[in-house]
Amino acid sequence: MIDPIEFFGNHIFRMVFFGTSVTGLVAGALGSFAYLRKQSLISDVIGHSALPGALLAFLIAVAVLDANGRNMLGLIAGAVITGTLAALFANSIAVRTKIAIDTAMAISLTVFFGAGMILLRIISNGPFPGKGGIDDYLFGNASVITVADLATSIAVGAVALVLMLVFWKEFTLRTFDPVFSTVLGFRAGVVDTVMFATIVIAIVIGVKAVGVVLMIAFVVTPPAAARQWTSTLPGLVALSGAFGAIGSGVGAYLSVALGNVPTGPLIVLTLFAVFLVSLLVSPRRSIITAALRRARAREALRRELLAETADR
Amino acid sequence: MVPIACQARNVSVAYRADPVLRSVNVTVPVGSVMGIIGPNGSGKSTLIKAMLGLVKPLTGTSEFFGQPLDQVRHRVGYMPQSASVDWDFPTTVIDLVTMGTYGELGWIRRPGKAERARAMAAMEQTGIPELAYRQIGELSGGQRQRAFLARTLVQAPDLFFLDEPFQGIDAKSQQAMIDVLRDLVAQEKTCVIVHHHLATVRDYCDHVTLLNGHVVASGPADQAFTKENIRIAYEAREGAEAFLETAA
Repeated sequence: MIDPIEFFGNHIFRMVFFGTSVTGLVAGALGSFAYLRKQSLISDVIGHSALPGALLAFLIAVAVLDANGRNMLGLIAGAVITGTLAALFANSIAVRTKIAIDTAMAISLTVFFGAGMILLRIISNGPFPGKGGIDDYLFGNASVITVADLATSIAVGAVALVLMLVFWKEFTLRTFDPVFSTVLGFRAGVVDTVMFATIVIAIVIGVKAVGVVLMIAFVVTPPAAARQWTSTLPGLVALSGAFGAIGSGVGAYLSVALGNVPTGPLIVLTLFAVFLVSLLVSPRRSIITAALRRARAREALRRELLAETADR
Repeated sequence: MVPIACQARNVSVAYRADPVLRSVNVTVPVGSVMGIIGPNGSGKSTLIKAMLGLVKPLTGTSEFFGQPLDQVRHRVGYMPQSASVDWDFPTTVIDLVTMGTYGELGWIRRPGKAERARAMAAMEQTGIPELAYRQIGELSGGQRQRAFLARTLVQAPDLFFLDEPFQGIDAKSQQAMIDVLRDLVAQEKTCVIVHHHLATVRDYCDHVTLLNGHVVASGPADQAFTKENIRIAYEAREGAEAFLETAA
């Protein structure tokens, strides 16, 4: 095992640690709104569909602009565009046809992800500079995060978090009671666009560090775990962000300490451990105490009913 | 002439190509309690949603105090059906009731002490001040309705749209609801209530609109809420037959 001093003394490990922690913080905090709006699955559509966008951004950068194909800002922009298109595509199928939304989402996810896989092959077969390790976009590679990448992640993540804080009241109202929000005069399109933008950023910010396949876990698992412990919205967002950041940091540390274990998957397992503990032992929503309470109540009811028939 | 609180003119709504409401004309005088009555699927909720711009009408317009809704939004309150939200949402009753102030706060401005004090006062009106800091998930059906009503009162509107306020409610909550309605009437406020329980229509409403995809009758209860009209609106539905027999 590597000790913490050695870990933080190493530049690459530091980048892995902070890169994933920032991803975890932003995704966890903003994921709370996706969770409350019951948009976990559409978030997965966005995550997988970020692949062709990230790769198109690479192609445009190297083939057209003659620039660095791994530029984080370009990567995020491309991912946001195809991720959003995929979500809109799924929605418009569901609205315009009798096809149910889950089917529409599966169709959209697979077609965008499939297109991404074809682009991946085109890039690895073509003469593009800097194409080595391009398939890291699938499962992430936190060890290639540069200082510039980290700075970009922090800046983009901060913009999303600030938007969330500025529009806190509107986000809350629209999430809890969308119809009432409209009656009060808050344009649904405006609130939804801003909220959707922040959620998409939360999802795609992890493209480089954790990859498109597992990013969804950063958005969905922390709020599901945090909801077990808190019953206020500020509490949920703060705790979910903390779970995301700490879970990512711990997972990143473990991936280095255990030697040559991929970072993204280990973080996902760490977040799952947090989720599992939350399900089992949280004070008010523990599934164990809930089951015990139910069993006791049933037993009391049974005795009562038996006593009633005995009286007769 | 009594001034008009709101008016639907020729309002039609269709989901895809299926008509739900055909050319509805309804006029609600200021100070009245207008019951929107009709069988399931007769378009009661759809009518108020169309009037409030929540559903896009295929034809027709609605006016509130002689103006389009956007001009007078602050004078119009709305209480949705309580089943329309997720009661496991992580928030307290006072925070839910405070949402009624968000409209006048406008974009970005946050509620402060004054808004929370008003929320508290509204909860006292509906008889649930002791529930202020409870989780909304802990409320009973009747308490949910009273929390929603308090949120509508906080909007301080002149015209109230209440969608099934008596749905799933206990006797105590029902009484609290009725007391608030009486207060509103005494203050010359106007209420439009979607209601489906025929036997209590007369208790709450002085005006009635009988709907069945179209307006069967609309006006003062004495003229509109007649056996003949109820029979037409409900066709030969059992519930209505039973009601008509007991009433006869």
